[in-house]
Amino acid sequence: MNTATIVLWVIALALGGWAWKKRDGSLKKGGVLAWKTARQNGALLVIAFVIVGYIDLLSPTELIQSWIGPQSGWKGIFLAEGLGMLLPGGPYVVFPLITILYQSGASLSATITLVTSWATLAFLTVSFELPFMGWRFTLIRWGLGLSIPLIAGGVTLLIMG
Amino acid sequence: MRKYSIHIILILVTCFLATLAYRQGGLPSLAQGLLRGASLLLHEIPLLIAAFLTAGFLQALIQKETVTRWLGEEAGFKGILLACLAGGLIPGGPYAYYPIAQALLKSGAGIGVLVAFVTAKNLWSVSRLPMEFAILGSQITITRYLITFLIPPLIGWIAAGLFSHTINNIRQGIRE
Repeated sequence: MNTATIVLWVIALALGGWAWKKRDGSLKKGGVLAWKTARQNGALLVIAFVIVGYIDLLSPTELIQSWIGPQSGWKGIFLAEGLGMLLPGGPYVVFPLITILYQSGASLSATITLVTSWATLAFLTVSFELPFMGWRFTLIRWGLGLSIPLIAGGVTLLIMG
Repeated sequence: MRKYSIHIILILVTCFLATLAYRQGGLPSLAQGLLRGASLLLHEIPLLIAAFLTAGFLQALIQKETVTRWLGEEAGFKGILLACLAGGLIPGGPYAYYPIAQALLKSGAGIGVLVAFVTAKNLWSVSRLPMEFAILGSQITITRYLITFLIPPLIGWIAAGLFSHTINNIRQGIRE
């Protein structure tokens, strides 16, 4: 049991206590929503962890270091932006994958570019954006968004090396 | 089909990696990767349960209607700031916030408000924060939040300045 797990349990229990105090069915609703989220993401999580297991086993450390490692600089930031767009799934799936890349030697600036690019530009998110918002909005939002991971990674590179 | 597209992509990636492992070390490597994934997953289960409970309670406690009300009538930079706040607070994936963004668009929100809302959801997301902290660690998470903190209102403001004239076309486009 690490610190993060304990902190998250404290937050979960505090929110659960708040929901219970409201006495308007929020506690049950929250529980049902939690179960729904778990069921929806369960299969994906298992697959994602199998992927993490294989990446860990194969540990393409040299490949990662030469592409997005400490010496990769701006090239690494641009590659990380492209890679971030391709990352599939929500945080439950993507964060373990990014962690294993970071542990295998990706630089801090490339890792931050990767998280930011996944968060703002991911193609799978765009597949939800298009039907709801139309291509004009998506083009404007995504087009302006192209600069965000580069800014985030660039600032990290300039400040923290 | 879209519902399972993530599954399909992930399974293809898994097959690709499993093939690489098999070619590198035969059946033992194939099994070893699976076992390593399973043990990592088992290790993270207490954390994942807490994360799912937090997400569930947040969704139950924060009312979608309240967030929509904060934004609907607002205009100008104050509206953009409110949109950022709402985007940051609203939990759930793209299947949850794009329907809300569409409702805002239909009820008259401007392009700046909408771009700010989506970008703040992507960059500020409070409901994702515990997960990000827990899995990615404090250094990556704090650095990323600090560096991208000003981006949502800024990009909303830029979008309002450059693309305000397109909003009627956008609104018509989704009605067609």
